[in-house]
Amino acid sequence: MGFRTTTAVLVGRAVRVASRARGGGSAIPGNIALKIDPEFLQHSIARIPLGVVAVSGSNGKSTTTNMLAGILREHGLKVFTNPSGGNLPQGIASSVLSSVSVTGVLDADIAILEVDEGYGPKITKMLTPSTVLLLNIQIDQLNRYHEPDRVVRMLEEVASTATQSLVLNRDDNYLVDLDTRLGSGFTGSRAVSFFGASPELIGASAHGLASAERFGDATSGSGTPVAGGAAGSAEGTAGSGHLAAGAREADVTVTDLGDSQAVLGIDGHDIAVRLPARGLHYALDAAAATAAARAVLGDRFRAGLVTAALNGLTTVYGRGELLQVDGEDIEIIMMKNPASLQLNLDSLSAPPEQVFMAVDEGTPDPSWVYDIDLSSLDHVDVITGSKAWQFAVRFGYANIPVGTVDLDVRAAVKQFLALPRPAHGRKTMILNYEQMMGIRKILGFKELEGGGA
Amino acid sequence: MAEHGEPLRILHLFPTTLGLNGESGNVDILRRRAESRGVEVDVVRLEAGDQLPASVDLVFIGSGPVSAQVQTQAAVLAVAAPLRELAASGVPFLAVGAGFQLLGESITLADGTGLTGAAVFPVSTVIAGERVVGDFVVESRLGTLVGFENRGSYIDIGQAAPIGHVVYGRGNVAATGPGAGASAAAIAASGGTAEGTVLVAPDSRVEGFWVDNLIGTHLHGPVLANNPALAEWLLETALARHGAALPPATPDLVEIDRRASEARATIAAAPLSE
Repeated sequence: MGFRTTTAVLVGRAVRVASRARGGGSAIPGNIALKIDPEFLQHSIARIPLGVVAVSGSNGKSTTTNMLAGILREHGLKVFTNPSGGNLPQGIASSVLSSVSVTGVLDADIAILEVDEGYGPKITKMLTPSTVLLLNIQIDQLNRYHEPDRVVRMLEEVASTATQSLVLNRDDNYLVDLDTRLGSGFTGSRAVSFFGASPELIGASAHGLASAERFGDATSGSGTPVAGGAAGSAEGTAGSGHLAAGAREADVTVTDLGDSQAVLGIDGHDIAVRLPARGLHYALDAAAATAAARAVLGDRFRAGLVTAALNGLTTVYGRGELLQVDGEDIEIIMMKNPASLQLNLDSLSAPPEQVFMAVDEGTPDPSWVYDIDLSSLDHVDVITGSKAWQFAVRFGYANIPVGTVDLDVRAAVKQFLALPRPAHGRKTMILNYEQMMGIRKILGFKELEGGGA
Repeated sequence: MAEHGEPLRILHLFPTTLGLNGESGNVDILRRRAESRGVEVDVVRLEAGDQLPASVDLVFIGSGPVSAQVQTQAAVLAVAAPLRELAASGVPFLAVGAGFQLLGESITLADGTGLTGAAVFPVSTVIAGERVVGDFVVESRLGTLVGFENRGSYIDIGQAAPIGHVVYGRGNVAATGPGAGASAAAIAASGGTAEGTVLVAPDSRVEGFWVDNLIGTHLHGPVLANNPALAEWLLETALARHGAALPPATPDLVEIDRRASEARATIAAAPLSE
């Protein structure tokens, strides 16, 4: 712990206090700490006894990180984790600042860090995680990543930094055989394990798991082509003859799904767990967290503690959350990307009675909404945000009636809240991430994501 | 509708591999705009190994990642000759992104490998490292077209006519100098260099290809969602080949087009890029 680290901690903390007093800017203190000591994260996090578990993928990072931290705490470990959404280097540094001693020592047995896919290679090279947990690869932020193939390559890099174990989703088109692509040099000295869901449950879900399409001929475990894409001549790309999703044996499997609860099969034992909201994707997150806990704890893992841990968790900010406003329930559905929107719509048991939608330039290219099956909505009451008219066009083509389009977000929220109380006592808001942040504030929920007050 | 009374047949080329990012929405939009007015539509989805149907009135091909483009190339070549015949006979084509490139003469991949295209469009593509990502505004003979540009390639259309001039965004090739705006910023942001690339003056930026009834573009959104005038042109042209006219827009379409006009105005008033 050098002078630089101490300076980074002290200055970063002062900035943290100042910015919290102003009510915002959770990444700023971390940013400053990293400027003063570029190796601030290595110094603080890399010394934790059980090391780092890195959680990445297109969807479910925050939820799964929260679940895994809960399971490990239930096993008696002192866990350091980054709050939801704070998954860039400066966000992680900011959360470290709130927990370290002045010399930069972090008082924890293990760190569970959700890492952004784009920064994943950089972050994991800095932190050399003992375990890497990869959740899924779905069409996400094409404006940022351009092509799903790039996300695949980034996550392969993240996986390759694991020093002890790698935990993968066997029902994801790209993750099912990611370990084999890393070669025997990697797999020879690491434990690789899988989680998944029963084929019946995946088949029963309207759009499966919304895994990104993989081109080239897939083979099942027995070597039979099962999902031929276009004709051959792939000139060495797009991996011909790769394994089909589901072809691996899973340690933890979702075997049954109810309304906000699921059954996980672990080593032949079935355990019931509570989910943060409806949907197979949340059950998969629970299976992922359980499989990672098993990989980390080895013989110390107790399946029975998973139920208690997941029962005790609070919903991660903005993901399937219910807010109470003036005695009314408002359900927040976050449309981070096509897969999360589709899975959340699929999990609706009936068309929501009152629907509000807000999308802004945080979703720069909403083209993908033409890939979404919107039939679980029968109308939308109010649309706002700078992309509102583009969504209004989409709903027009989908024959879904639209009440009002108003680009003024405050006015739109006011109009929606003024609607009579729905018969089922619930209003539904479908929001992109940026609008979720803004509208929570408008509704009077002042706390910020990423470690705010 | 080669024969009187048959439905308008839309050929959708390789929807599985070239259907990234809502591209298939273009076909749904064409179908809806025709059917609303009582024009029957038959969409034929052509996948690798399929034969072309006996008669075709309109052709659409969408976009996809480079891996899908490489994967689809052989299948495109297998139907190249009949596609060229359709083009020569005046059947309207809308080709977007990777599909537009595959219907061109050649594609040079980032590693220098060459791919032969179907040569329906007399254009050639070079996949280069600089990528432009952002809103896209083009002034065309149908008025202002808007969409989203997301490409890491240059397309050379020779002396052929483009769809129009770029108001915001990059267009077929990179521009340089003052006023290059989005393109220069995008190149800088992607860490790329402009070395070895064709550069044009900012005022000369053009987008796409539009000669006779062939339209190729990198406007996404999908392009017909924001720009119903282009959808109307495609349907009118397809029907005109049979001496038929497109009936006037029904009230539902008038309302959708009003919304699209608001969407175009919103994007054109404050375009953004990364």
